Amino acid sequence: MFKLDRKLKTLAISVLFALSANAADYISSHTYDFNGKKVIDGGVYYSIVNGKTGPYYVNKNVDKYSYKGNWRLATKNEVAAWDKDVTPTQHPPKGHGTVEEGEELYEAQCVMCHGDFGSGGGGYPSLSKGNAYKLHKSLKNQRYPDPEADGPQRVFGTYWPDASTMWWYIQSGMPHPNTKSLSDNQTYALTAYMLYINELRVDGEVAGDDFELNQDNFLKIEMPNKHGFEPVIDGPAGQENARKYFNNWKNFGTPKVKPSKRCMKNCQKKTAKVVRIPEGGGIKDFLPPISVVRDIPKKEGAFDPKAAYGDTCAACHSGFLSPGSADWAGYTGKGMDKVLANAISGTAGGMPAKGGNADLTDKQIKMIIDFMVSGK
Amino acid sequence: MSKKPNENSEASSRRDFFKKAAVSVTALAGTSLFASGTSSSKDDPAIMHHPKWGQKLGDPVTKNRYGIPSAYEHNNIRRNTKLLASGNFQASIAVCPIHESEGIITPNGLFFSRSHGGTAHIDPNEYRFMINGLVEKEIVMTLDELKRYPSVTRTHFIECPANGGQEWRGPQFNSLQFAKGFMSSAEWTGVYIKDIIKDLGVKKEALWMLAEGSDNSEMGRTVPMDKVLDDAMLVWAQNGEALRPEQGYPVRLLLPGWEGNLCVKWVKRLEFAREPFYAKEETAKYTDLKPTGKAIQHFYANEVNSTVTHPSPEKPWANQNLKKGDLVEIQGLAWSGMGTITGVDFSLDGGRTYKKANLKGLVLPKSWTRWSYMHVYDGKPLLLTSRAMDDAGYIQPTIDQETSIMGVEAVYHRNAVETWEVTKEGKVNHVQIRS
Repeated sequence: MFKLDRKLKTLAISVLFALSANAADYISSHTYDFNGKKVIDGGVYYSIVNGKTGPYYVNKNVDKYSYKGNWRLATKNEVAAWDKDVTPTQHPPKGHGTVEEGEELYEAQCVMCHGDFGSGGGGYPSLSKGNAYKLHKSLKNQRYPDPEADGPQRVFGTYWPDASTMWWYIQSGMPHPNTKSLSDNQTYALTAYMLYINELRVDGEVAGDDFELNQDNFLKIEMPNKHGFEPVIDGPAGQENARKYFNNWKNFGTPKVKPSKRCMKNCQKKTAKVVRIPEGGGIKDFLPPISVVRDIPKKEGAFDPKAAYGDTCAACHSGFLSPGSADWAGYTGKGMDKVLANAISGTAGGMPAKGGNADLTDKQIKMIIDFMVSGK
Repeated sequence: MSKKPNENSEASSRRDFFKKAAVSVTALAGTSLFASGTSSSKDDPAIMHHPKWGQKLGDPVTKNRYGIPSAYEHNNIRRNTKLLASGNFQASIAVCPIHESEGIITPNGLFFSRSHGGTAHIDPNEYRFMINGLVEKEIVMTLDELKRYPSVTRTHFIECPANGGQEWRGPQFNSLQFAKGFMSSAEWTGVYIKDIIKDLGVKKEALWMLAEGSDNSEMGRTVPMDKVLDDAMLVWAQNGEALRPEQGYPVRLLLPGWEGNLCVKWVKRLEFAREPFYAKEETAKYTDLKPTGKAIQHFYANEVNSTVTHPSPEKPWANQNLKKGDLVEIQGLAWSGMGTITGVDFSLDGGRTYKKANLKGLVLPKSWTRWSYMHVYDGKPLLLTSRAMDDAGYIQPTIDQETSIMGVEAVYHRNAVETWEVTKEGKVNHVQIRS
């Protein structure tokens, strides 16, 4: 029955495709084959039709086998060693830490990047801008059309929905140059300090300088932006909410229009005008500076006779008169000046001037000859 | 040399002639002249003289066991700016020189590079990969074991959703590389995650999957189960060779079309769960704040987008010696993380009126697509704007349309049409057409 359904669906898709003049060459669907639901991101799915998904042939036999030999079962200890995530539903382990302990850790390991009281600096993220509940209101601020207006303050206290993210972040990703070095209690202490500098409430009371955070009161942190995000992804309907949200373009501003109905004339508002980068403005501290020149950059550093030998001389001199070879005795007897002159001007025996590389200076040729005769 | 010079007077006089010729050649900057007769100012010296590379021996094949670009191409490189660094260049981005890119594949050394704790260098012999959580069998694998799965090869772009994100309030970068280069494209080889988990007994209540990196930052993101069952991959190769360290060597997650940040590099663990994880980069960052004060989270796909690549502020017409009446190809890229590009419209007046441009080359799902528009150069100022559509039915908005819903503080997922101003001198400037 499933197979028949699938066949019918494929047929229906094919017919739809045939009717749509502007569709891509590949058979696509707004619903998945595997659960019949709309594609979660609002885009399309490429069913396997005639052995292909989109332009790609599919290895049909993949489904027939199991690959039990490709892995082993993880031990309990291995899973425990790696499964350290702390989320709104997977709480941090037992432990505790005070604001005072947190401040001490912060001053020792964090302040050099995140600044006094989490004020930021040097490009590193700010951790607080002041009272989280007051500044939460700034999230509606827009710096347009007035670019000098106050923007929204997106820091831990004002913006993040959950403190679990902070606990997990500190323990897995901080301190930045030496991560995964803090104990559970130290992580509690630093999180407590984060609550303190953002003036966040825990169980109805603002975390003061004598506050201690532990596994129990961790669940009572009152984050002002807990419900500041859409779609709501928690609970059994989480995926369905996301699916519904992203299948309505008005939520994210990329229009869905039938190709035949798209605008071809007068497509800009009458009020729209050309906005240029302000003179002297814009961002241009590009590293390295933009250039599309094709040239040979001037080489810095010392000339390497060994490398030059490899590039220019080795084609002929890897056998006869190779670096350090005893053959040299038959030539150096006439004096090194003669050997050098031959190398520079070439010889009747077939040696081209400078080995055929006119870019080499006489001084460089001398260095190469010294290397070849001595072998070092 | 069997004959001595004085044995044959004719040979001797010819030798004298060549000696003299040699002297005159030396006078001509050391290159040899092979055309005789009167020279003309129309003659191109690059043709009239043997170039030095045509006479001396080239490099032996033993040089550069791993090839490198011509030394002349040293400016075709990733670039960065301090303004796109969270304090240092470990938590930062180096952007792709798309103004120099051709076709729909980025060379591995030029692929844009974003990390949150620096590029990790993983010993493949000590690499381990774990799947745990709501599965009957929690497993571990080595790299060799992972590579035993039947492989899949796909061409997809990866785009940082902050591509263009500095320009919500107005143009900032007079550069294609910085305005649109937070993306690159490659042919990836790996395995579908759905092919791995079919043997593991994923429990019905599993709605989400955490993907976690093994780098300094342990970058992690939550992925909905439906993407896992669609086209989510674990990839170990890009463009036919092992992933570069900057791309997550030895293994990264690839979610075709979705935010680059979701394509977790150096991935070490997948955990299946009932509830989402709220990892650090999915609330603090990678969320789109709207004027309502609410922010979009789990904003998965990079929506339909396009840009003009030829000309660009870096490579303007001013440097191309165009004359009125010359035919010139205007070229660009179009891409969509929601499907396949079905068409691109092109405008010479900043998106007021459009004509159809032509797609060219391979047109693949969730991939860069090249488009082209042939233009007769007339020396007049122009406003070049492109607008792409995909087979999911989406079309790029104007800046006014996009900001009417998203405001200007969203940071991510900006895909409104973009405009290059061409001056009458042929210079190219990044501008915006907006109210």
